[in-house]
Amino acid sequence: MIRRDGRAGQDVLRRVGEASVLILISLADGPKHGYVLIQDIKELVGVELGPGTLYGALDRLERLGLIEPLPADDRRHPYRITAPGAAALRVHLDSLERVSAAGRLRLQLGGI
Amino acid sequence: MNDPRTARLIEIVLRCYPARWRRRHGDEAGELAALLVRDGTPAGSIALSYLAGAAREWLAPRPGRPLTMVACALLVAVCSLGVSAGLLGSAGAARAASTSEQRERVHCRPVSPGPVPDVIPALNRPPLIIGKARHGRSC
Repeated sequence: MIRRDGRAGQDVLRRVGEASVLILISLADGPKHGYVLIQDIKELVGVELGPGTLYGALDRLERLGLIEPLPADDRRHPYRITAPGAAALRVHLDSLERVSAAGRLRLQLGGI
Repeated sequence: MNDPRTARLIEIVLRCYPARWRRRHGDEAGELAALLVRDGTPAGSIALSYLAGAAREWLAPRPGRPLTMVACALLVAVCSLGVSAGLLGSAGAARAASTSEQRERVHCRPVSPGPVPDVIPALNRPPLIIGKARHGRSC
């Protein structure tokens, strides 16, 4: 569980896997349930999450306190990102940006 | 799901999950599978994804599930795989042996029998007929 004050010091998403990060990115603009999450991620990055992977990642993110379930709509359970989840996503995206910038700089220096 | 076989397959695969998971996600997971099949996702890949998810669900350590239980589940899974592989292997060996035996029989079939030259048939007796095998070994 990361700190509730939103100041996540370390990148907790580094070890949760790509599916979990994609789910958090998808939930960043509003609550969604399973089917909409799969469709949204497919449109966003072209990755089709398997339903088994989806539920595993949702359970993991919920255990970490990064997302929370909303009251069920019929049989569908929507989820929303929590404040610590949003903070963790920011930290992770910042980290990815640094890695990306470093990689581009190295490519430039190498003249490739 | 229109195809009852697909619905049955998904139902069976969802039963592989722990009861706690099924109570929480079971209905939604079934509906999600139906929607994905409708969109053109192969039922087999959905079933495989759920199967892998079920395996992960059983093997992941949880507060109420100590690591020893996880290790036991892993051991049982590995043993089951080993037994299955052994059975498959022995069935394959038996099939191979049966095939080679049949081949041997075909191999040992005598060529068209006929009277052996230089043998004078006895009076009022049919000529002696000896089958010739295609190899030197007696069979």
